[in-house]
Amino acid sequence: MSNALDLFEDFDDIAELAEGLDDPSPGARIMAVMELADNADPAAIPYLARAISDDDAGVRKQAAQALTDFDGAETAAALVLALDDSDTAVVEAAAVSLTELKDPSAGDAILPHLDTTDDVKLTALLAGIKELRRPEAMGPAIAALKHASPDVRVQAVGVIGWLQDETSLPALRDAAKDADVKVRRTALSALGFSKSEHAEATLVNGLTDPEWLAREAAAETLAKTGGAQCVPALRSVLGDDYWQVRLKAVRSLGKLGATEAAMEIAPMMDVPVPNLRKECAAALGELAVPETASFLEKYADDSDPDVRKNVRWALDKLAA
Amino acid sequence: MPLAQTATTVPVVVNDDLCIADKGCTVCVDVCPLDVLRIVEKEDGKKTAYMKYDECWYCMPCEADCPTDAVTVNLPYLLK
Amino acid sequence: MDEILDGLTQIDCDILIIGGGTAGPMAALKAKRKNPEANVVLLDKANVKRSGAISMGMDGLNNSVIPGYATPEQYTKEITIANDGICDQAAVYRYAQECYGIIQELDSFGIRFQKDQNGEYDVKKVHHIGTYVLPMPNGDTVKKALYRQLRKARINIINRFMATRLLTGEGRVAGAICVNTRSAEFLVVRAKAVIMGLGAAGRLGLPTSGYLYGTYENASNSGEGYAMAYHAGAGLANLECYQINPLIKDYNGPACAYVAGPMGGYTANAQGERFIECDYWSGQMMQEFYDELQGGKGPVYLKLNHLAEETVAEIERVLHIVERPTRGHFHEGRGTDYRKQMIEMHISEIGFCSGHSASGVFVDEHARTTIPGLYAAGDMANVPHNYMLGAFTNGAFAGMDAAVFIADVDHANFDMGEVDAERTRVLAPTKRDDGIPPNQIEYKTRRLVNDYLQPPKVTAKMELAQKRFEEVRDDMESGMFVRDAHELMRALEASTILDCAEMAAAASMYRTESRWGLYHNRVEYERDDENWFCHTILTKGEDGKPAHKKQDVKPYVVEIAEDEKDAYANQRVGSSSSVAAE
Repeated sequence: MSNALDLFEDFDDIAELAEGLDDPSPGARIMAVMELADNADPAAIPYLARAISDDDAGVRKQAAQALTDFDGAETAAALVLALDDSDTAVVEAAAVSLTELKDPSAGDAILPHLDTTDDVKLTALLAGIKELRRPEAMGPAIAALKHASPDVRVQAVGVIGWLQDETSLPALRDAAKDADVKVRRTALSALGFSKSEHAEATLVNGLTDPEWLAREAAAETLAKTGGAQCVPALRSVLGDDYWQVRLKAVRSLGKLGATEAAMEIAPMMDVPVPNLRKECAAALGELAVPETASFLEKYADDSDPDVRKNVRWALDKLAA
Repeated sequence: MPLAQTATTVPVVVNDDLCIADKGCTVCVDVCPLDVLRIVEKEDGKKTAYMKYDECWYCMPCEADCPTDAVTVNLPYLLK
Repeated sequence: MDEILDGLTQIDCDILIIGGGTAGPMAALKAKRKNPEANVVLLDKANVKRSGAISMGMDGLNNSVIPGYATPEQYTKEITIANDGICDQAAVYRYAQECYGIIQELDSFGIRFQKDQNGEYDVKKVHHIGTYVLPMPNGDTVKKALYRQLRKARINIINRFMATRLLTGEGRVAGAICVNTRSAEFLVVRAKAVIMGLGAAGRLGLPTSGYLYGTYENASNSGEGYAMAYHAGAGLANLECYQINPLIKDYNGPACAYVAGPMGGYTANAQGERFIECDYWSGQMMQEFYDELQGGKGPVYLKLNHLAEETVAEIERVLHIVERPTRGHFHEGRGTDYRKQMIEMHISEIGFCSGHSASGVFVDEHARTTIPGLYAAGDMANVPHNYMLGAFTNGAFAGMDAAVFIADVDHANFDMGEVDAERTRVLAPTKRDDGIPPNQIEYKTRRLVNDYLQPPKVTAKMELAQKRFEEVRDDMESGMFVRDAHELMRALEASTILDCAEMAAAASMYRTESRWGLYHNRVEYERDDENWFCHTILTKGEDGKPAHKKQDVKPYVVEIAEDEKDAYANQRVGSSSSVAAE
C-alpha cells in the first residue's frame, strides 16, 4: 500500500464503467449501474437511461433508483418510461425517483404525459411535477380531480396548491367537497395561500366536515387565510369532540387576534390535555385581554414546563 | 489460555440464491457501519456475503442497499 | 481481508476531517467551497456512504430556527434554561442565526423537509412560544444526498481507516495517525488543520439487553473523538453531564417528545397515569422517570392507545419507516401494538453526547477547540442540544474557519517518535500468542460503568470504579490479544471506551454538587450555584491522569429573567398546581 492514490475513493471514467452494461450477467450489469451512479457525474445519465430498457427487471429497478442521483429532462424522460414497466418494483422505484427531481426543466419530460388515465402512472407524474411548480401542469391537474382514484386526486390537489394561483380556487373548492377525506383535507390545506373570501368561505364550510381530519385542516389553515369573518365559525369548533381540532381553532383565533374569543378560550385552561393548555396560554398571550389574567395566573406554576413558560409569556403580554 | 468457540446466532441473514457477490458485488460489506459482513466462497465455488462478526446495530443499510433484496436484518436474539 | 499486514504510508493535506457522518461532510463541502484550492481529506473508519448517527436517516429536525416560527433569541434562551444556565451562548446564538441557511442548503441537496400544501415549510410546534420541529418525509435519503454532494465536489474520501491519535507540534495540530480497519496498515496524515466529527461516546454504558451493540447511539460511535482530544491535550467540558434518554425497553429507539408528544402520546406509569407533564428530554424529566421506575409505580410506559386510529398510524409511519426501521419488526416480534396496549419504556445506558446534553470537547462559536488548528463539531463538541442540524451547522462553521486558518500556516513539525510509540501501542495486541479478547475488556469496562457510574452518583461507588478501571487497564495493556485487523479495531475501541469511562468518573467526582437532574445527581450534594455555576474543564494532566479546572460561563448574549430560570424544575404532575391527568 505504498501508493497513496489507492487510499482514496476512485473517480472512474464513465464510458469505461458503462461497458459493464453490456455484460451478459444481470448481476454484473447491476454493479455497473451502481458504479455509474456513485460517480455523481451527469455523463452517466444516458447510460442509465439505456439501462431502463434492460432485459432484466433487477437491472431496470437499480437504474430507476440510480437516477435519483441526477436531475433534468433526460433523467425525467427515463423515469417516465420506467413507469410503463411490467414489473411493479421498477415502477415503484421510478415513482420515488420522480419525486426527487428539483430542476424545473425536468418538467418538460413529464408534462406531455399528464393526459394518461392509468392511476399509478398519473399519481407518480403528478407527484413528480408538483415540486417543479410548472404552471402548464395546472390544466391537467384540474382535469385529474375528476379521476376515479383518490390517490390521483390527492396529488392533483397538491400540484394546484403548490402553484398558488387564485384562478384555481373554484377547483379547490370542488375538491374540498370530494367524497374522499384525504382529498378534502389536502384541498382545505391547499387554500392556505389565498386571502380571498372564496377560500375563507370554503374553509369555514370545512369546519363542519364530518371527519375530524378535515375539520383540523380547516381550523389550521384559517390562520393563514381567514379574516374577521371566520371568527364566529372558529369559535363554534372550540367545543369540537376532537382536541386536535380545538387546538388548531385556539391557535388560529390567537393568530387572527380574535379578542372576542378570549373569554371562551380562558376557561379551556382547565382542560387536562397539556398540549391544549399550552396552546390556550399562547393564544391568550396573543390576544392580551386583561380579563383573562386570572385564568392564566392559576397555571403560572403548571407542572408542564411548556405550559408554565407560555403562561408567563402570556402574562407579560397582558401586562404590556 | 486457549480461546473458546462459543456459538452465537447472528441477526443478518443472506439468501445465497439471490446474492450476486460472484459478480463482484460488495455493497452490504461496504455500507456496514460496524464492518461485520464478509464475502465467503461456498463449497460449490460460488461466493456469497455472510455475517462474520456478531456486532450488529440492526441499522439496515445492508438490507436497504442490497440490489437484489438478498439481505434480511433480524433483531439480535438478546433483545428481541 | 482482515489479515494483519505491516505498512506505513504518509500523505499530506491541508484539512483533514475525521468522521464522515453528519458534521464531517458539511465541513468538507464548506471548506472546499471557501477555498477550492485546498486539499481536503475526509476520513472515516466505516464508509462515508452510510456512516454515523444518521446512517439510516432521521425523521426530522428538532431544533430548526426558521424566521416567522422562532427567533435566535428565543432559541438561545430555551437552550440556556434547559442546561441549567451552564451555557456559553455565543455558539448557540450563532447556530440559531445561521441554521436556516443550512436548512435551505440541505434542501437544495435533495434532502426534503416537510412542506405544506402550498410548498412552504411545515414547522410543527413542540416547544412553547418558539416552534422548532420540522419533519423530514424522505429522511431516509439524507446520507445518500450528502454523499452525492461530496462526490460532485470531488472531495478526497478515505474509508475504513480509524484515526487513533492526533499529532501536535509547535503548539498546534499537525495531523493524525490512522490504522486500516481491515489490514492494520498505518497511515500518517499531515494536515494544517484537523476537524473532528467523530460522534458520541455511545458504547460507554451497557444496555439492559446485555448486547454490546444494542446501544442508543450508533454503536460505531465509540468515543474516539473524546479520547483523541484528551490525549492531544485539548479541554473537554462538563463530561459529568451524561446523556441518558428514555427508550422503548430493550429496543434502542426513542419514543415520545418529538414524534408522539405533539400528537397526544405521553409517558405513563403502570397504572396508566401521567406522571410527567412534559416529555421534552431534560435531566429533570429523566430524574422523574427514574423515580417512577424506582418508586413502585413502574414500569414506565409509552401510552398511545387512547389516540385516534389516524394519529397512531401517522406515528407508526414516522417511527417505523425512518430513523430505526427495525422498530416495527421489534413490536411485531413482541406482539405489541400501540393501539392495544401501552409499550414498556426504560432508561438508556449512559453516554457522552452533546446532542442531548451539554458535555463534550470544548469549542467556541467557530468550532475551535483549545488547540490551534483543531476543530470539533457535532455530538462530540460541547455546543448543547445540537442534534443533527447542529452537527451540520457547526460542521459548516468548522470548515469555513479551517479554510481561512490554513492560508497562513504550513504543516507543523511533529516528533516522529510519537508515530513509532503509537504503532507500538496499537499493535501490541497483535504481538501476543494469546490473551484477553477485546470484547471481554469492553464488556467488563461497560459493566463496571453500569455498576458504579450510572446515576444517582455515589462517591464511594465512583472511587471503586476508578480502582477497577485501573485494573482493567493493566489487563488491557499487558494481556489484550487479537487475531485479525477487525479485532484490532475493536481493541482500539475498547481502549477508547476505557478512556471515556475514566473521564466520566473523574469529571463526576470533581463537580461536588448536583445539577442537570439525573444527568449529574450526586446524592451527597445539593445544587450549589455559589461555587458551581461554571463549566468544568478536563484535560490530561502532567501525570497522565485527568486534571480539572473551573471555567466561567461567558456573559450571556440573551438575558434570562430570574423567574424563567427554573423552567425545567417541578415536572411531576401535581407537584405544584394540580391539574388532573388525562
